[in-house]
Amino acid sequence: MKSVITTVVTSADAAGRFPSSSDLESVQGSIQRAAARMEAAEKLGGNIDAVAKEAYDACIKKYPYLNDAGEANSTDTFKAKCHRDIKHYMRLIQYCLVVGGTGPLDEWGIAGSREVYRALNLPTPPYVEALSFARNRGCAPRDLSAQALTEYNALLDYAINSLS
Amino acid sequence: MLDAFSRAVVTADASTTCVNDLSALKSFIAEGNRRLDAVNAIASNASCMVSDAVAGMICENQGLIQAGGNCYPNRRMAACLRDGEIVLRYISYALLAGDASVLDDRCLNGLKETYAALGVPATSTVRAVQIMKAQAAAHIKDQPSEALAGNRLRKMGTPETGDRCASIVAEAGSYFDRVISALS
Repeated sequence: MKSVITTVVTSADAAGRFPSSSDLESVQGSIQRAAARMEAAEKLGGNIDAVAKEAYDACIKKYPYLNDAGEANSTDTFKAKCHRDIKHYMRLIQYCLVVGGTGPLDEWGIAGSREVYRALNLPTPPYVEALSFARNRGCAPRDLSAQALTEYNALLDYAINSLS
Repeated sequence: MLDAFSRAVVTADASTTCVNDLSALKSFIAEGNRRLDAVNAIASNASCMVSDAVAGMICENQGLIQAGGNCYPNRRMAACLRDGEIVLRYISYALLAGDASVLDDRCLNGLKETYAALGVPATSTVRAVQIMKAQAAAHIKDQPSEALAGNRLRKMGTPETGDRCASIVAEAGSYFDRVISALS
């Protein structure tokens, strides 16, 4: 899993040297920025059900045709799966906040998603709408600090871009 | 390879939950500078630590440098010093990452079998690692023994903490113990 620390260790190992002072400085920089990420991860982790539910409701509201017979949100089973998918994205974003990189989203969310959605005939615009809703829903300092919100929004943007 | 953060994520993903317990990671962040100082203490003193550990190992078992011993001739002694440095290097990576996966995957995996095939005595190797463990603890605490180090004494001069970084010393010790148990 790619993070600042593993990247530093990988390059030091490739060169066969001990961690240098510049290696340690880049890890220190990452650690200093980590407090905001942890705050965002904590808030998101604690409220993931509500966040995912709101985002899901928002995308169904924007694309009501999904409720029609035969569409992706037509039955209770499908509804549960749609909701689960949104929650899945939010969970991966929480992982990214913990790790401090986009590794979890890249490896477990984005890689192969295009093929899966095409094979299952799922539309991506509702996903984009759900994530965009979450993107614009967070408010500093009401929900979390400004820095934490920036980290959170950046990852949502990343996920949105990967889908569009 | 994982670090403390990605380890938490991989563990949480196995049960499809969010990372709920962030307290360990928060203390990792809060004590980040201690960890970096500890890695720096090992990296800056590495060559001294390795040569002293190998010298100590040989002092206790002179047969190693007699004809037929595993540190005779120089070619084998050099290989021994090189291996000591490699082990210490991977321990420093593990300490930096806060996770033993890099040590396990890239250093210890198959090491015992390799040494068995090459006829490297495990007891001597373990002894050298034990010496490095004691040295690492002394350097991380920044309390290297003046009586034993003599004119080679080197203090890092890092800010002193109340408990002398006891948690980091214990963590570093656990990586040395991991090497020892992998070899024996």
